[in-house]
Amino acid sequence: MEVRSQIAMVFHLDKCIGCHTCSIACKNIWTDRKGTEYMWWNNVETKPGTGFPTQWENQDKYSGGWTRTEGGDLRLKSTDKARVVTNIFHHPHQPSMDDYYEPWTYDYQHLFNAPEGQDQPTAIPISMVTGKYLDIKAGPNWDDDLGGSTVYAENDPNLEGLTDEQKGQLSAIERLVFFYFPRICNHCLNPSCVAACPSGALYKRGEDGIVLLDQTRCRGWRSCIAACPYKKVYYNWSTGKSEKCILCFPRLETGQAPACFHSCVGRIRYLGVLLYDASRIEEAAKSNLEDLVEAQRSLILDPNDPAVIAAARESGVHESVIESAQKSPVYQFVKVWKMALPPHIEYRTMPMLFYVPPMAPVMAQRTGGTGDRGGTVDGVSDDLFHDIEQARVPMKFLANLFGAGNEGPVRYALRKQKAVRWYRRMLTVGDVDAATAERMLREADCTPEEADAIYRLTSLCTFDDRFVIPPAHREEAIEMLEDPMEHKQGAGFGFIARPKRGE
Amino acid sequence: MNWPLGVWRWCASAAVAALAVCAPATAHAQDAAAYFQQNCASCHTIGGGRLTGPDLKGVTERRDHAWLLRYLPDPKALIDSGDPIATQLFQEARGVIMPPPPLLTPAMADALISMIEAESKLEKSRFVGIQISDRPFTAQDVARGRSLVRGETAQTGSGPACMSCHTLGGVGALGGGRIGPDLTKVYERLQGRKALAVWLSAPATPMMRSVFGRTPLQAEEILPIVAYLERSAQQGGEDTGVGMVTFLLLGLGGTAVGLLAFDGAWRNRFRAVRGPLVEEAGFGRGRARGGNQ
Repeated sequence: MEVRSQIAMVFHLDKCIGCHTCSIACKNIWTDRKGTEYMWWNNVETKPGTGFPTQWENQDKYSGGWTRTEGGDLRLKSTDKARVVTNIFHHPHQPSMDDYYEPWTYDYQHLFNAPEGQDQPTAIPISMVTGKYLDIKAGPNWDDDLGGSTVYAENDPNLEGLTDEQKGQLSAIERLVFFYFPRICNHCLNPSCVAACPSGALYKRGEDGIVLLDQTRCRGWRSCIAACPYKKVYYNWSTGKSEKCILCFPRLETGQAPACFHSCVGRIRYLGVLLYDASRIEEAAKSNLEDLVEAQRSLILDPNDPAVIAAARESGVHESVIESAQKSPVYQFVKVWKMALPPHIEYRTMPMLFYVPPMAPVMAQRTGGTGDRGGTVDGVSDDLFHDIEQARVPMKFLANLFGAGNEGPVRYALRKQKAVRWYRRMLTVGDVDAATAERMLREADCTPEEADAIYRLTSLCTFDDRFVIPPAHREEAIEMLEDPMEHKQGAGFGFIARPKRGE
Repeated sequence: MNWPLGVWRWCASAAVAALAVCAPATAHAQDAAAYFQQNCASCHTIGGGRLTGPDLKGVTERRDHAWLLRYLPDPKALIDSGDPIATQLFQEARGVIMPPPPLLTPAMADALISMIEAESKLEKSRFVGIQISDRPFTAQDVARGRSLVRGETAQTGSGPACMSCHTLGGVGALGGGRIGPDLTKVYERLQGRKALAVWLSAPATPMMRSVFGRTPLQAEEILPIVAYLERSAQQGGEDTGVGMVTFLLLGLGGTAVGLLAFDGAWRNRFRAVRGPLVEEAGFGRGRARGGNQ
């Protein structure tokens, strides 16, 4: 057992309202520079939808992530040692600008300078790449709220395996359904971007597992961009280097939640430390498709187990980090309650951002019209969870997103959510009888105490409940890498990397 | 000794200066001989008879020293100025104007004239020119010459094969290089065996000199090459445009085959995703306006 700590995340999709505040907070802090216009380290996608870049989940086209060979070994889909050489001048799996979008601004001067005419002058879109007027063909969130459904929503790669009837119902009038899927870098345990980098510029930070890209070592090969199945590494065309989400580590190190977490209006985001067994990552990543979710969960260790604590101390995890792990909301959602699931675990990168699958709308296909009781609490049948099976967002769709195609883990998470709702409804509204509520809890593998805890962390969570940030202990991290006395009596600012002046 | 750096520098430069002053005057004669071999010997001999230019044996007796000094640095200027001797030389050389010798300093011109004067007095000057056998060329000579021109037989001096820069009729299906002139009729252009052989022993053009200056052709290689060039001149068939067209077509064909091979090797490469989706859904160019897709 080799215990390491990772700052992991949970996004509660049932609470996401798709306001994009997170995206804007991130954009304003990190990617409002030249060359980063098209980067969205945090973006919010509408599901069903093709996301950003278009159809990023289609790895037949994008070739991201890992694949398991016949012999059971993991191989990068996009590259290997031999192909680094043959593809040295052109990586054949790079998304083009059109699959992101051509960034633009508006010619606001035209509002003032336009010659007098019949029509009100408008601010004409102008490309930030070419500087010429632009006919906008795509943009970030182009498919937001099912925009362009017949093009985008209907081509969501997660619709694979759904019947035509199910696909049709997704966009049927008055039954049309969608939910939001906010995404940042998953800071994976088995990151394919790190594995693909020929320059060794990408690394997973030892003390908290944040995956970072060293700007001085990056040589702009862009292998990481092709290798990341989530397309969360972006190439800066101005600096010629790649960039990615840094989980706001400067904020974390000063005890603040990352900007997207901090600004989240729906309070859907949770952040906390997980202790995991690093010696078993490879074994877990090589599991069979149907075992992957459970295999990843098995890597996460109980921070209250004395054996784990002892092993953590031995491998240099700081006492305060262990304490933080014991209070981690992420540990509760992922390991204890098993309600949060990794996105597309079939890419085998072992993402450390987990999603609580969305219940809303709870209305089932059958009762989903406008006429009846709205399906909030529809009739009690023998199977109390039948509306989950018949939910308007088909189980198979969610399974493709969060279960590598297996419905089991998704069904478990949704049943527990629904049981907690009904339990709370029994307590507060009273239109559900106690026997039914208790039976539901039992069938959903839940106890009243656990239901209370889930309710508290879902609905009443304060800032400090959601974000349990361990002290950064930068002094220790630095000492692992270099001698702090090395630059003693140095010349002050700029003595390591000279500042670029005159610009 | 712990002298400051400046002192060492001063000592070094003093030593260099002393060496320069003490350099023996004989070095000039040697320089002149080397210069002659490099720049003059391809057209002139001393006692070896006329090549492109006249035999220089006794030239210092035939011509005035001052005239030689005026003529040497820029022969064309003197011809243009209507100098009678220069005009006569020009006519004798059937219109070939002697190119100005490269990097000729007044001191070197003086040394050259003295050297020629000294060599003229010898019974057999070392600049008598390459003595190439008068025997008729055999079929073996021609075959060996062809092999040398095509680079199938390496030169002793390890110089490059003629074919890498020159083409000539019958040298091969694709012809030779196009950097240098076509050599099919060079035997006739240079008026025969002796002149051609001398040219090959000390090429005078800047390009040839830079290529063969350090790796000269040997006498036993020159004979077969001259034999082959003579045969080539007899058979004629200068490279017509056909070779060029074949070459061009082969290039285009090769490019096409190469591109197809790349396309096959990278057939799984990323192609556009969003564009085709929009096209497929019927929001192509024709209907671009009005929809938000």
